[in-house]
Amino acid sequence: MNEVLHTTDLLIGYKGQALMPEINVSLNEGDIVALAGPNGSGKTTLFKTLSASIKPIGGEVSLFGKKLQDYHPSERSSLFSLVLTEKPDDLFLKVFDIVAAGRYPHLGLLARLKAEDEQIIYDSLETVGISHLVNRNFVSLSDGEQQKVMIAKALVQDTPLIFMDEPAAFLDYPSKIELVNIMHKLSREKHKTILFSSHDLDLLLRHADVMWVVAPQQPLRQGTPKELVDQGIIDAYFKPIEAKKEFFWMNRE
Amino acid sequence: MTPTSLDIERRHTAPILLISLGIIAVGLLLFVMNLCFGSVSIPFAEFIKDCYYSIRDSVMTVFDREWVCNEPSTYHTIIFEYRLPGAITALLAGIGLSVSGLLMQTLFRNPLADPSLLGISSGASLGVALVVLLAGSFGGIAVSTLALWSTYGVALAAFVGAFLVLLLILALSSQLKSMVSLVLVGIMIAYIAGSVTDILKFFSQKEVLHSFVIWGMGSFSNVSKAQLPFFAITVMVGTVGAFLLFKTLNLLLLGERYAENLGVNIRRSSMLIILVSGFLTAIITAFCGPIAFLGLAVPHIARFLFKSSDHKLLIPATAFLGMDLALFCNLIARLPSFESKLPVNSVTALIGAPIVLWVIFHRQKVLK
Repeated sequence: MNEVLHTTDLLIGYKGQALMPEINVSLNEGDIVALAGPNGSGKTTLFKTLSASIKPIGGEVSLFGKKLQDYHPSERSSLFSLVLTEKPDDLFLKVFDIVAAGRYPHLGLLARLKAEDEQIIYDSLETVGISHLVNRNFVSLSDGEQQKVMIAKALVQDTPLIFMDEPAAFLDYPSKIELVNIMHKLSREKHKTILFSSHDLDLLLRHADVMWVVAPQQPLRQGTPKELVDQGIIDAYFKPIEAKKEFFWMNRE
Repeated sequence: MTPTSLDIERRHTAPILLISLGIIAVGLLLFVMNLCFGSVSIPFAEFIKDCYYSIRDSVMTVFDREWVCNEPSTYHTIIFEYRLPGAITALLAGIGLSVSGLLMQTLFRNPLADPSLLGISSGASLGVALVVLLAGSFGGIAVSTLALWSTYGVALAAFVGAFLVLLLILALSSQLKSMVSLVLVGIMIAYIAGSVTDILKFFSQKEVLHSFVIWGMGSFSNVSKAQLPFFAITVMVGTVGAFLLFKTLNLLLLGERYAENLGVNIRRSSMLIILVSGFLTAIITAFCGPIAFLGLAVPHIARFLFKSSDHKLLIPATAFLGMDLALFCNLIARLPSFESKLPVNSVTALIGAPIVLWVIFHRQKVLK
């Protein structure tokens, strides 16, 4: 299996303050990797560090055998794409325009779409199942549909690696299942490597090939979901903070 | 069965070609009306005749040295010496301010942003206040109302004031991380420049103050025929510069983190956008005074008409619509029934504000 990304003694945090012990993990081609942990455990910081938004405070990230910082920003845009929780809010922005923007790194000065680019855009819309929405205004779509548009944008960008930050956060149950299906399709058919984060024990986690579990000041643990459950790590990392607080009302009865 | 790409039709929700032709036709009509109407109305037939003679004479003199030119009518002077420079100035100011406003609105992702947002026009006002009012106080009224001040001096002072603020903003933009802080800094600079201007006004003589107030009302007729080529070239350079930024602007609409991931250097791009937008504002404010509302209103009208946020379409659309609206305002300001010209600033707001209101109330329909 080809390695896409690995970290060596990576320390993440702000102002020299590390959020967790050194991280040594790797991502393999075609894997769906879930980064799970309660709120405030450093998921977003790790995410931003891996996607070159912020610098590590120690150690390094290497992407396809080269240090992340050594890539020019324009090179990075063809290596990994993002699906974020923040969404475009311009009222007249069309689905097509957003997805086409994902193609910009591949286009010339005037951003003229060739037949080949248009084909890629339509194929991506087809893959995530929203080709009927192509002329719609983005803000008029549901959360689930907006999520799919952003995934289509990432697909059009044509990168081997896709980062998804809390992709299931605002989705209802059927949309979550659709999302799982799309992620499987991308990984199995298009050999994309996907790293996504989640702050609760979502159904998505069961469909991950590999899980990275984090908790405040705890070391990051890597394993298959089953291994981590069997070792009691999921319990240990999630229970004391999330589960007890969230389900407190159940115990009263 | 999955449909092939041919089954998915990408349709523009607005008939782009038709609207574009409409905008250009309205622009031409308004341009001719600008030349014909005013304190002296020129019949259309006379206008055509005069244009025909002028073109014929200038062509024929090239081929035939003996050609006897047509005696220029009184209309000729009115059209070509007074109204043509005014109409062209209005048209260029409309283009530049509207495009500048669009850039600000996209950069700050704020529909209320306009060219004056970063304090650049306040800087221009301060420059003019310093020159006109101080010169008036120290050198007497004669100095401040010298013909020199009313043309090059005022324009130069306004440009220097605007450009100093622009440089200050650019320097600060490399220090500030968030766009919100940058806007706040711009607004504060505008306040400081505004209050210094007010203090200067407080201490100056009534007669001197008058000429400053007149400048502040805005006018499209201050650019002389000799200055026009310079004004036209600079506005065109700024507008073309804005168009070249359309990819960056489109990516910024997705949000900063997406834009960054798609290869945009956020800091450098925002400085470029501020530079282009500020340059246009500085030039136009220098020559025409602070013109309110065009830069705020026109991008909204363009988005609404074309139902698009694609800057490749929006920048030319905004430019042409800005041209139409400025010509219309110039026409209203010089309606025949008014002896002297109305302040352009009040006309632009009077016409611009209802249009923006109308756009806001009709926006819901577009979003369906």
